[in-house]
Amino acid sequence: MPIPVILASLLIGPSQAASPSDIFRSVFNFISGNQETTDNYILLKSVVFDVRLPRVLLTFITGGALAISGCSMQAIFRNPLTDPYILGLSSGAAFGAALALAFVFIPVQLSAFIFGLLAVVLSYFMARKNKNVSIVSLILSGIIVSGIFTALLTVVQYFSDPFKLQSIVHWTMGNLHNANWSKLQSAIIPIAIGVTVLIIYRWRMNVLAMGDDEARTAGINPDKDKLIILLAATLASSSAVAVAGIIGLYGLIIPHMVRMMIGPDNRQSIPLNFLFGGTFLLVIDDFSRTISGFEIPIGVFTMLLGAPFFIYLMKKTNIGLMW
Amino acid sequence: MKAIQIRGLSFSYNKICVLDNVNADIEIGKLTFILGKNGSGKSTFLRIIAGLLPYKKGDIHILGNDNSKLNYTERAKIVGFLNQQHKAVFPFSVEEVVLTGRAGYVNYIPKDIDKQAAHVAIEKVGISHLTNRNYTELSGGEQQLVMIARVLAQNPKVLLLDEPTTHLDFGNQAHLLSLLKKLANDGLTIVAVLHDPNLAFLYGDDFLFVRDKQVIRSATSVDAWNVDFLKTIYHGNIETIPYNGRALLIPDMN
Repeated sequence: MPIPVILASLLIGPSQAASPSDIFRSVFNFISGNQETTDNYILLKSVVFDVRLPRVLLTFITGGALAISGCSMQAIFRNPLTDPYILGLSSGAAFGAALALAFVFIPVQLSAFIFGLLAVVLSYFMARKNKNVSIVSLILSGIIVSGIFTALLTVVQYFSDPFKLQSIVHWTMGNLHNANWSKLQSAIIPIAIGVTVLIIYRWRMNVLAMGDDEARTAGINPDKDKLIILLAATLASSSAVAVAGIIGLYGLIIPHMVRMMIGPDNRQSIPLNFLFGGTFLLVIDDFSRTISGFEIPIGVFTMLLGAPFFIYLMKKTNIGLMW
Repeated sequence: MKAIQIRGLSFSYNKICVLDNVNADIEIGKLTFILGKNGSGKSTFLRIIAGLLPYKKGDIHILGNDNSKLNYTERAKIVGFLNQQHKAVFPFSVEEVVLTGRAGYVNYIPKDIDKQAAHVAIEKVGISHLTNRNYTELSGGEQQLVMIARVLAQNPKVLLLDEPTTHLDFGNQAHLLSLLKKLANDGLTIVAVLHDPNLAFLYGDDFLFVRDKQVIRSATSVDAWNVDFLKTIYHGNIETIPYNGRALLIPDMN
């Protein structure tokens, strides 16, 4: 499923010079050994390889990272309402990005990444008591940390000039249109590490979803495993947020869609979340690139497209949640 | 060797003493019931043995292993534990739930041998027909049987159960207790907290009573059903009616 969508996405874009038929002709010429040296060919190559390919790959790993992190967090917190943003990651990252955009002393991505991570670490340690982290206190401290960073973000916005304010607002809406190879490079390694760890721990998530006592007496240490999974999910999702901005509710919706498609067993659903999450964001991004003359920010689009689809699935299938 | 040997065990919750210098032995291959009134510390006692509550004073040996030196993985291969209540969040299939009992044997992903162990456990409990059903859609009695299969998939030598019959109807209580008796006859050591002294009396081999921060074991199981003794356990007015050479308890209606 992902590969055809990636290929199709390469064909789509606002550029007049690179229509699907142009690309097909060039690919055909390339395969049959005909050398093309026209200016048009060089332009085409640049559009496809320097603009579209990095964007397509970045979109794919961003969507995959958010979905797989969301699914993992839902499993370890035993709460289907959890997503990577619940621990303050998005508001931390938004504040970090705004700080960098308004006062420019560090790169936006780096600042977003650091403050996103900082927010999760703060939430985690605020909730920790006697070496134990209860889920309720973790979610409460996440809400408080989110509130603090949102307040700080407002302060930064208040002191920013209108031009900078616009770029801050644009960043928080989520955007992939300025993707390039260097952004992809900065995101791909932390995302690859996070995703690999989550895939290794995927069955452990089934055990953890049974409850702490049940995990302990069956032979695993839930505190240690949850911390490892939480760190991996935070690493992957904060790297995604750092390069793509805030893509709202994505990490909440995709895991539910996957669960409705193949059931709750994390052995299958964790890898599928990465593939489906990546593919689906690519489809949404293709729409946001082509549906109108200007680009609609992807964060807005995921909500507008994802919410109805989610409601449809919720009504149609029995998700069997018990609480 | 004893299945469980406890010497000088003391335990406090936030400086409130729950168990004080407890000594107790539990025999291998028997169905032992722990009885006592609400809040007497029965569940605490069981959870300490299960390794869920760390204790500072005393020794517990399970089949010769020092309980405080076992890590979760090592203990899981010896001791299985069933919680009072289990609330499922995700609609896992019965097979997937039972398979999680294999966590102590599995590195990261369960292998065929673990799936076989899960199926053997499912058959032992007699719920093969539920294998592919969603756990969340089952009745309370069926869910309890699934959780017992899960704990059996772990291949424990000692099985600890905290009030296994609480949410079950009368028929399911009898079904579950006869299953436990059968497992004990096959050599498994079972220790269960139970509220109903009559069911305990009908199915159990051995009885421990928790009272005044102590765990008391009567000299013989017949002594345990002495009405004067039981009055000190439940602090209530109890009458007895004879049954099969022992006595069943009923509340004193006067």
